[in-house]
Order: sequence, then structure tokens, then C-alpha cells
Amino acid sequence: MSPPQEKCLPRKSLPPGIAAAGIWLICACSSTYASQSALQPGGPLAKAIADLFWGMVAIGGIILFIVLAMLAVALLRARSKAEPKPLTFTQSRNLVFVSGVVIPALILTVFVISSAAVNREIVAPMPEHALTIQVTGHQWWWEVDYLDTEGNHVAKTANEIRIPVGKPVRIALEASDVIHSFWIPQLNGKTDMVPGKRNLTWVKADRPGSYLGQCTEFCGKQHAKMAFTVDAVPEEEFDAWLQRQAQPAREPATENESKGRQVFLRSSCAMCHAIRGTSALASVAPDLTHIGSRKTLAAGTLENMPGTLSSWILSPQSFKPGSHMPATVLAGEDLGNLVEYLLSLE
Amino acid sequence: MSLHADIDASKLPDYSYEFRSPLWWGIVGLMTVEGTVVATLIASFFYLQGNHAAWPPAGTSPPELLLPTLSTVVLLASMVPVYLTDKAFKRGDAKPLAWMPLASIALALVFLGIKAYEYASHVDFRWDTHAYGSIVWLMIGFHSAHVIAVIFKTLVIVYLARRRYFTPEKRIAVTVNGLYWYFVAAAWIPLYLTIYLGSRIWS
Amino acid sequence: MTDSASIQHDEETRQLERTWASPPGFFAWFTHVNQTNIGMRFIVTGFVFFILGVILALLMRLQLAVPENDFMDPETYNQVFSMHGITMMFLFAIPVMEGFAVYIIPLMLGTRDMTFPRLNAFGYYIYLIAGVMMYVALLLKIAPDAGWFSYPPLAGAGFSPGLGLDFYTTVITFMEISALVAAIEIIATIFKCKVPGMSLNRMPIFVWAMLVMSFMIVFALPPLVIASLMLALDRMAGMHFFTAASGDPILWQHLFWFFGHPEVYIIFIPALGMVSSIIITFTQRPIFGYIPIVLSIVAIGFIGFGLWVHHMFTAGLPQLGSNFFTASSAMIAIPSGVQIFCWIATLWGSKPKLATPLLHVLGFFLIFIIGGLSGVMVASVPFDMQAHDTYFVVAHFHYVLIGGAVFPLLGGLYYWYPKFTGRMMSERLGKIAFWVTFAGFNLTFFPMHKLGLDGMPRRVYTYLDGLGWNEANFFISISSTVLALGFLLTLVNALASLKRGKVAGDNPWNADTLEWATSSPPPSYNFRHIRTVDSRYPLWSGTGGLEQNPVVTGIRSDRREILLTSILESHPEARQPLPGPSPWPFWLAVATALTFAGLMVHMAIPLLGFLLCFIAITGWIWPKQLGAAK
Repeated sequence: MSPPQEKCLPRKSLPPGIAAAGIWLICACSSTYASQSALQPGGPLAKAIADLFWGMVAIGGIILFIVLAMLAVALLRARSKAEPKPLTFTQSRNLVFVSGVVIPALILTVFVISSAAVNREIVAPMPEHALTIQVTGHQWWWEVDYLDTEGNHVAKTANEIRIPVGKPVRIALEASDVIHSFWIPQLNGKTDMVPGKRNLTWVKADRPGSYLGQCTEFCGKQHAKMAFTVDAVPEEEFDAWLQRQAQPAREPATENESKGRQVFLRSSCAMCHAIRGTSALASVAPDLTHIGSRKTLAAGTLENMPGTLSSWILSPQSFKPGSHMPATVLAGEDLGNLVEYLLSLE
Repeated sequence: MSLHADIDASKLPDYSYEFRSPLWWGIVGLMTVEGTVVATLIASFFYLQGNHAAWPPAGTSPPELLLPTLSTVVLLASMVPVYLTDKAFKRGDAKPLAWMPLASIALALVFLGIKAYEYASHVDFRWDTHAYGSIVWLMIGFHSAHVIAVIFKTLVIVYLARRRYFTPEKRIAVTVNGLYWYFVAAAWIPLYLTIYLGSRIWS
Repeated sequence: MTDSASIQHDEETRQLERTWASPPGFFAWFTHVNQTNIGMRFIVTGFVFFILGVILALLMRLQLAVPENDFMDPETYNQVFSMHGITMMFLFAIPVMEGFAVYIIPLMLGTRDMTFPRLNAFGYYIYLIAGVMMYVALLLKIAPDAGWFSYPPLAGAGFSPGLGLDFYTTVITFMEISALVAAIEIIATIFKCKVPGMSLNRMPIFVWAMLVMSFMIVFALPPLVIASLMLALDRMAGMHFFTAASGDPILWQHLFWFFGHPEVYIIFIPALGMVSSIIITFTQRPIFGYIPIVLSIVAIGFIGFGLWVHHMFTAGLPQLGSNFFTASSAMIAIPSGVQIFCWIATLWGSKPKLATPLLHVLGFFLIFIIGGLSGVMVASVPFDMQAHDTYFVVAHFHYVLIGGAVFPLLGGLYYWYPKFTGRMMSERLGKIAFWVTFAGFNLTFFPMHKLGLDGMPRRVYTYLDGLGWNEANFFISISSTVLALGFLLTLVNALASLKRGKVAGDNPWNADTLEWATSSPPPSYNFRHIRTVDSRYPLWSGTGGLEQNPVVTGIRSDRREILLTSILESHPEARQPLPGPSPWPFWLAVATALTFAGLMVHMAIPLLGFLLCFIAITGWIWPKQLGAAK
């Protein structure tokens, strides 16, 4: 190896600051719209947490900057020609004591208090007569029950939750098989759904709109495809919707639809699914009484359209491998009628 | 050249006793690990209790006290010959080592026998009946395995003693075996209190 | 003049060589007990598992590079991410740290071996067998697939009926024996084998760190052992510890995290010791605040046990308790801060030599501080409810574990490599490797903070298009190859330097601790002369360094023997003969593995295994004289 080559090597390698700045830039650029972001709060709880986060980032950033600056000064002084002057014992002791104990203790006290304050908001007791929705986690879908103030069952749906905008809503969380976790980042932090227990959380949406949620406790093969939506709508609209959901399924209006219903009742569908108002009352899989009014299939995996619904019925495993729904073999005509019937159930 | 006098280690003994010996620290380490296991088991017992309205759960009768208390006394008594052997050996008398631990082993076997009888015919639950059954059987199984292990270990000591292997310099091997015997017997006390009294006091 | 240079090949040296030699040959390999041999095996095996873990991580990033990728099916992905965690936590981090402890501590203490050489070997074989079993399971596609944390009921027999979780429960149960025996051994060695004059307050900080790590292992691992045994019994004997029916799934979480959180500090505290060693050597001055640093390490060891619940903030526990755990988790920042400022005070006004080991320590500073700050953030219950189980947490703990432990570890590798092998690693390639690793690390993990806050959960095998995660995921996947390249460069450097590295000599860095007072690599007996010490920095003290100090004579060289000293003041107390090579540790490890892994097959095998264990132990402790007398 020749000496000039060695000289070619940059003496000062890339300073960490530039690398860090680059990362920040990339992060900033990649922040396109995300509808599942905890930093775009749609309710008071998520807002309080996001504010807490930004406060912590600001203080943390200052701490990081100061410590790295001290480190940089310590190293740069060593590069100067002059004989370096070590700190005296007293200076070192004061440095360690003040910046290593006193200042962190103060900052952490503020931190613990503000964290506890935000926590108080989250665990604050709910108004007595708030709407209660019971959500039960299944591998890999969400069962949603609307309860009245006495705890009586009003309506059942799956994977899509509708709430009145501006009203606090209590959510009771249960699980039927393994642990799941219920998370709507834009409305509130997550709470686990533990089999054999009942956890409570609550949400409130400040503005109408659709909020995405997803399971956040690893729950097996299809943990990745266990999403749901929360639609916040004006109260009157919500009441009307809930009333419709409480109704049994509408009767078939066309011949195709009534043939579709027969297909449903005599095929394996009825062994797991329920359509209230028919003889299908099984509760292992999502209730399909108002399937036609839903926007997605298979816990957010597919858009709810005739094409996707028939593909899903024929071969669920190709969209959600490991899903507990078996493939159903149906003749073309039967399938068409079935899909037509199901989508008519609004 | 050294400025200070060198240290001549050849005058030092090539054996050591009690906390001067690494082996003593080794056995203390082992006892700490196992003690943590016992603590974990007891914590789990009371944690699971918190989940049940009744403990033992409904349908299971609370444990009887007579046999377990008797067996506990037997196990605690087994420490006495171990202690006497240790003490004699400390004085330089290696003779009791060849037979006295056998008395301890006999007592430990009685303990195991009572336990086996108790859990074969005197309890009305199995390990897979409920959480109570699981934790109780695990505690009993864990402890009994240790009693069996320390019996085996002591048999080896007695055999070696009969072959006149134990000179006073090798006392540490006897000491740590004794320590482990005390540990196995003493670890039974919190387990006994938990299984037989704990569920009575809190339920 | 250094010690090794003064070795005269006199009769005693030859005798020491004969006494301490490890027999050659393939089968004899299984009988070796010397601490340098076993320590090196732990280190090499640990790094091999690290490479495997990195490969698994790259596979995961390949899968996640684009939405709805079908490179891996969910089952494979779940096995891969579970094995990545199991590998990095159980098969890499603890063993490699223990490997450094086993290799270096006796050298730092100035003794010829550890107190229980055979136990050392036993621990290694347990670890090796466990690791091999896990990877055989992965190759057969029957590896555990419920994560390294394996929460029941998902990990119970009902929802994971396959063999995968049986491998997890049984192997984890006996694998931890390896860490436990090593910890007990390290404690006993540190207590009893310090060279005369090395009182506790003169012990190198590295040794203090390893001592605290060992105590943490002793108290943290038993709950895991018993918990995984309970899970195994739930699965195989129909018991009810963690079932929703009668037991409690949350009990597993308590037991697991009572181990799992201290585990982080078990990995991190040795790294703190390495950082202190490197800073002392490359600033060429005594460290400022020896006592505060030691107390901080001890404090971290204690506090580390008081914050396991912060992994369970979302499980629905009582709220008052949660705020307590916020405070205790935040408190850990204080001892960490004290150490950081002690190091800065030491660097201040020194002329540090920016060699590769120190460069890694500087990288550690930046990464670890970021990881520490995000750690304080997730200690807040409300914020954790958003960040928990998302990529924010993935980013956080990789900053803490890679920044806090792997960077110092790589620094330690560059630092002690000359001692291990007698040759230097290439400084030039080392610096390039550092910058590639450092850049690759930050580019990979920093964007994950954002991804997590944008709502991406952990442990997902894929994600849908249209959630705004595509660009970040693609970017992270590309960056992860840069990070892997950085590790690869260090690996190449380490392999190439074995033959081509510059010959190091005894003390290439002019370091202060005793391991540098013997030849590189050390002879099988570590030190020809056992010299007393009279300061914290024995190789720097006085005018002539260690050569001035008295020699301990009279330790026999015709059999393996070490000097025992008192715990606090290190007064010579006794000589301790040590056992030599033996195949029994290996057989006991086989019998132990059979006892536990046999649970998977039939309940009778554990009973047989128990008996075999007893036979192996008897063979192990059977006195030689007795056999000869026969």
C-alpha cells in the first residue's frame, strides 16, 4: 500500500450530525398523509397524547443537542494544538452532579407529572349514560355489539364501528380466543383484549370522518390483516343507522336474491355466520345481517364489492392465508345469486 | 527487581472452608437461584388466587393439615443428623459421616412417602383440574425432585466417606452438601405455609 | 519490559504449559475446560448466532419492502420474526457478553482460570445444544411462531398445537441454565480470585459491570425458567397456569417481563463496562468518578427489577400502579446520565486517540442517548398506549440494544481482538466499517419511529397499500442492507486479520488493566508470574508499572492451581487446586437437554434424563484418587 493512498482517506469522516440531519429530512419528506397516524388526532384523547409527545420531543431534542455539543467540544478541544487542560476535580464533580443528577431529576419530575396528568384525562370516569359498544376480538376479526344504557343488546355488526360525533363512547373490550389489542390511533391509545377479562376504554371524535384501527397485539397468522374502521357521523344519522342495524335482515326483493338466500342457508355459510331474520344464527364468524352496508370484507382486507366478495367466498385463503374461513365451492349461478343477496342486505 | 517482598503462597493451605471457599459461594449462588424459583412459585400461587372467588376453587376441599404438618416435622428433623455430622467433622471426627447422614436420608424418604400417599389418595384434585391444582402439584413436584436429588447426592458422600475419602482438608464438600440439605428442608417451610395455610388465611 | 518478554523457558514454564494444556484432537475438544478456550467458544458461537439473526432480519425487511408482498407466507414470517428475537436475546446477547466475561475477567483479575472450569464447559454445551436445536427446528419449519415473548393463550396448546412452541418452552427452560451457571461462576471468581492487592475499590469497572450483570442473571432468570416450564406443562400436561379458563394469561406477562426487563440491563450493563475500559485506554488517563460510575451500575441493576410493568401498560392494569412504574422507569435515566457525564468529564481536556474502539463508543453516545430519550417517552403511560407494539417501540429498543450494547460490543471486539488473537484488526477497514454501520443503523431504525406513530403495528407479515407506509418501509429495507454491510465489513476484518493483521504485542493500546500484562494471545496458564497490584491502573502506576510489584510464588505448577484471596481486601488466603479436562460436562449437558427436550416426546424420557443427569454428575465429581486407589 502506497502512502499517498493512505492520505486520500478523508481524515475527518462523515460527522454524525450530517447523518442525523439527513435522517430527519428523509423522515420529513416521507410524511405523506396517513390515515392511521397517532399524530393527526381526531379526538381529545389522541390530541392530549400527541401534545405530550411533541413536548417530550422538544425537551428531548434540546437534551440531545446539549449533550452532543458538550461531547463535541470535549473532542474538538483535544484537536487544538495547545496542551489540553483537563477539568479540575471540582469542575468535573459539578458537571456530573448538576447535569447528571440535578437537571435530569427536575426534568423527569416535570415529565412524570405531565404524563400522569394526561393519564388522568384518559382514565377519567365516563358519563353515566354514555353509549357503550362491546368489541370482542376474534382470530382475525372484530365482533361489535351495541348495548343500551342497561347493558341490553341492541345490535350486532362486525369490523366497522359507527359512533356519534362529539359524544364520548365507552368501549368494552373482550376476546374470545387469544389476546388482541384495540387501537384507533387518531382517537385514543390502545387497550388489550384479554380472554376472560373485560377492559374498558373510551373514544370521542371531534369531527365527522372515518378513522382506521388495527389489532396491535400479535395474535397469530393473520395479525397483519385484522383492521377495522370507526365512522364518526352526526348523532341523528347515527341513531337512524343504529335503528336499521337493530332490524333483522330485509327479505329478498328479487328472485335472484331469494335464490341467493337459499344458497346461503344450505351451504356451509350458515354453519358459522348469522343473518338475523333467517334460520342462520351461528356466531363463530361475523354477523352478516347488514353486510351490504359495510365497506370492507375480512376485517379491512378487501373492499366490499360484488367481484371481491365472490373471490373471497371462493378462496379466502388466497387473500388471508390461515383464516378460519374455508373455501366454498359454488356453481357460477349460485355464487352470483349469493353475492347479490348478501350485498342487498343493507 | 521487586522493591517489596514477594508473597510465598506455598505456605498457604491448598484447601479452604466456608465462605473462604469458592465452592461455598457456588452453592450459595445455586441456593439463591432456587430460592428465587420458590419465591416465583409462591407469588404465582397468590396471583392465581386473586383470580378466583374461592381458593381452592369450588368443588375442591381445602387441604388437610395433619399429614402435611407431620411430614414437615419429619423433614425438619432430617436436618439434625446433617448438623451433627457437620459438627463432628468440624472437630475432626469423620466417623459419623459414614452412617449418620443415612438417618437423614431415612427421614427424607419418610417425608417423600407421606407426600406420595397424600397426593395419591388424600387430595381430590389433579394437576389438570384447575389453576390451584396446577400450582400445588408444581410446588410439590419441584420440591420433591430436590429432595430426591439431595438424597442421591448424600448417598455419594456417604459412599465416599466409607471409602475413607474425606480427610479434614476435604471438609468443604461435606459442608456444601449439608448446606444444600438445609436449603431443601428450609425451602419446604414457605411452600408448606403457602399451600396448607395460605389458602386458609386468605379465603 | 512486559511479563511475557521476561518468560524464560525454564523448567517451571514448561511444566505450567504441560499442566494447563488442553489435549489436542477432535474428541478431546469436548473435554476442554480452560477459561480462555470456553470464553472464546462463547464469543465465536455468539457472533455466529448474531449473523444468523441478522440474516433473519434481512429476510423480514425483504418481505416488508413493499405492501402485500408474498415473498414469505405468514407462517414463515412469524417463525422468522420469533427466531430473530429468540436468537438476538437468548442466543447472541447474553452468551456473547458472558463470553467476554469468561475470557477477560480472569485475565483482568490476574488469575489463571475461573473457580469452576468444568461448570464453564457445561454451560457452553448447554448453550450450544439449545441453539442448534432451535435452528434445526427453523430449518424444518417447525420453529416457534408466537414471538420471543410467546404470550398465552396464543402460545398455548389450543392455538399453537404444533411442535414450535414445544421447542420454545423446553429449550428456553434448560438454555437458561447456561446463563445461570456462568453467572454464579463469574460471581465466585470475582469474589475469590482477585490478585493480591486488587481490593474491591481497585477492581476495573468492567469487572464491576460483569459482577452486577451476574447478580441480575441470578435473580432475573429463574422466573423465566419457571414460567417457561409452566407453559410447557400447560401445553403438554393440560395444566392451567395461563389458560383463560382457570389460570391467568396476564400472569405469564408478569413473569416474562420480570425477567424480560432486567434482561435488557443484563445486556446493557456489560456494555457500560466496555465503554469505561475503552475510554480509560484511549484517553490514557484515569476515569473521572470511579465511585459514581460503580454506584450507577449497581443502581441500574436494582432499578432494573422495578419497572417490568411498563411492558404491560395496555393490558388493563390498575392505573395508580402504572404511574408508579412511569416514575421508576424514568428514574433509570439518572444513573445513566451520571455515567455519561463522567465519561464526558474524562474526555474533556484529554487527547483521545480516535481509534476504532473509541469511535464505536462515540457512536454509542449518540445512538444510546436517542434510545434513552425515546425510552423515557414510552415510560409515560398515555404515550405508551399509542407507541406500544408499534414500530416506534421497535425503533426504540433497537436504539437501546444496538446502540447501547452492540456498538460497545463491536468496540470491545476491536479493542480486545489483539489480546484474543495476537494480531490487530485493520484500523482502516475498521473505520470504514464503523461509518457504514453507524449510517446504516440510523437510516434503518430512525424512520421506524415515524412509521410507528403513523400507525404501523409490530409483528405484521405485511401491510396494505394506501396507509402511507410504503415509502418509509422501502427506504428502511434498503438501509438495512447498508447496516448489514457494515457488520459484514467488521466480520471480514476480523477473519482477514487472523492471518494478515499486524502483530500486536502484549499491550498495543498501552492499556491499564492486567489482561494486557501477559502475551497475546495469553498462554494456557494466563500468567507466568502472578504479580500483586497496588492501584486501579496497575499497568500505569509507579515508574516501572507492574514490574515493580511483588510476585506471588509457591503456586504449584505441577497441577492446576489458583490463588484464593479475600473478598474485600484481596489478602491471600489459600491455594485452590482446579480440575482438568473432562468429558463429563459435555455428557451432563446432553443428559440435561434430553431431560427437558424429552418432554416433547414422552413423559418417560425426562425421568430417564434425570437418572442420566445424576450419573453424569457423579462421574463429574468422582474423585480421581479414589479411582487410582482401586
